Amino acid sequence: MSRAIQVRVSESVVRTIHVEDGVESPLELLPVLAPDRMAELLAKELEGQGFTREGKLAKRTDGDVEIVIDLEAASVSVKIGAHTKLKEEVQLETRTAIEHEQQAESRLRDAAIDEIEARLAAKTEAMRREITEKLEKKLADLRTELDQAIGRATVEALTERAQQLGKIEEISKDEAGNVTIKVKL
Amino acid sequence: MTDADEQEDLEWVEPPMVAASEAEIVQMARALTAPQAHDVWTLLASSRSMPPKVGPTCARLVGDAIEQIWPALWRREGARFGASIRDGKVIRGRGWERNPPSPLEFSPFTLALLRWLVEVPLAAGAAPELAAQPVAIGDQVVAYLALSVATETPAQLSIARFSKVAVTPLVWLGFAQVLPGEPPEARDWDELVTGPGAVVIEALQVDLAKRWRTIELTKRTITEPDALIALGGAQDKTLLAFMAACSRAGRRDLAGFVIDAMLPLLDRQVAPFPNELDRTKPLSTRTAARKASGALLRGLDTWLQWDREHRGIRFLDDDYEASQLLLTRFEKALRNGADVLVPTWLAELASLAPASSATIDSPEAL
Repeated sequence: MSRAIQVRVSESVVRTIHVEDGVESPLELLPVLAPDRMAELLAKELEGQGFTREGKLAKRTDGDVEIVIDLEAASVSVKIGAHTKLKEEVQLETRTAIEHEQQAESRLRDAAIDEIEARLAAKTEAMRREITEKLEKKLADLRTELDQAIGRATVEALTERAQQLGKIEEISKDEAGNVTIKVKL
Repeated sequence: MTDADEQEDLEWVEPPMVAASEAEIVQMARALTAPQAHDVWTLLASSRSMPPKVGPTCARLVGDAIEQIWPALWRREGARFGASIRDGKVIRGRGWERNPPSPLEFSPFTLALLRWLVEVPLAAGAAPELAAQPVAIGDQVVAYLALSVATETPAQLSIARFSKVAVTPLVWLGFAQVLPGEPPEARDWDELVTGPGAVVIEALQVDLAKRWRTIELTKRTITEPDALIALGGAQDKTLLAFMAACSRAGRRDLAGFVIDAMLPLLDRQVAPFPNELDRTKPLSTRTAARKASGALLRGLDTWLQWDREHRGIRFLDDDYEASQLLLTRFEKALRNGADVLVPTWLAELASLAPASSATIDSPEAL
């Protein structure tokens, strides 16, 4: 007659998790002047907004959010990332006949590992959703900020273009943000 | 009339005799060209054991049915008066007047597909794979018609997945939304813009426009970003490869269905913005899905680029006549604001923080 025993398995994992999310989008920069000059004008506006120029890139970091503008390709990339160390521990036990001890232990160990992986995946997903939410909140403000910078760079470009065409007599701006440049040819 | 004459008349009207399984193959072949006259769903959903070979009478009857493909295709086109470009010149008339008779070539695949459609119950969702591969342009047309008659039935998905039709460019052009894998290589598209393939595409212009517009409207209901990425990716690759082949062959008129598909949407300013996508998915995935949903719009954007080229072709240039036809073809899209709406909508789809999602009150009206 076989003897019943209790098998107990304990598994623990410490894992560093990295999650990130991000978007890339083209910038709507009107080709008023040559691409190089348009990039220069936009870079100047961005520097005023706290961006740092690194060659053809303009970068800024707002907390966890990294904003990179490719001046040459007229595109913006916004990324957010986070990493943390997660610790999970699972303890499982079962009763079995002594002759089945090894199989029972192996089954329990597999179940414990699966349980740990599921918990880690759930925590990783929760973390990812958290950063995605943070990024979404950031994007609405960033879009407005970039649209304004592009608008100012475009006005600068139009002014330069007008100077090339003749003598500027008057520049006026209405409440809606429309700019009128009067040029004497 | 003598008895001998009567006997001769009776012999003449005697219907051809085939086995029951062969009769269903013949019926299936006829259903492809005249689906309204047959109970297609029963044919597709039922199953029947097939003998290893078909008899000569069955083969002849299938041949007769297949010969009806051209009239069936021109009926789809509505027998419209139109224009085609051939060797840089414009030819006007109805489809069959513009194009010389072009016999379609078929390989053993056509009969194998018909047998498979009858043999396998296609309502089940899973089916044994068809061994034969389509090789001739006629096979592609038969595959297209098979997917067409199965529209809005579970059989369409089964045919798309298990019958190897996904290797042919014509079915990608009509049914990219249900096909597995990737569209064919760039060079495979050339057969659709030259010879009988080009005539087939001319005949299917109205049909293709309707199909693309329907997908454009139904994909707004997709909330799963990965599904939208897969669909948009397949549509993008298909249109890109096809329109490049049209350009290479000097047959940009064959891509006219892209304009026709978009015209009512431009007219009513129905932008291709997807509805709310699953917010639990990463923003990168949702952004990719929004970009992917603009596949047909990118097709129209290619037409915008072509239009600029056509405007630069002068009276003395070789392609003047063809370019004038293409300018006329695109004029309706411009009247509906394509030059403003297309770039604006594409920019909005790729925007950092999209401000809009679409709702359509009555999509069936489009």
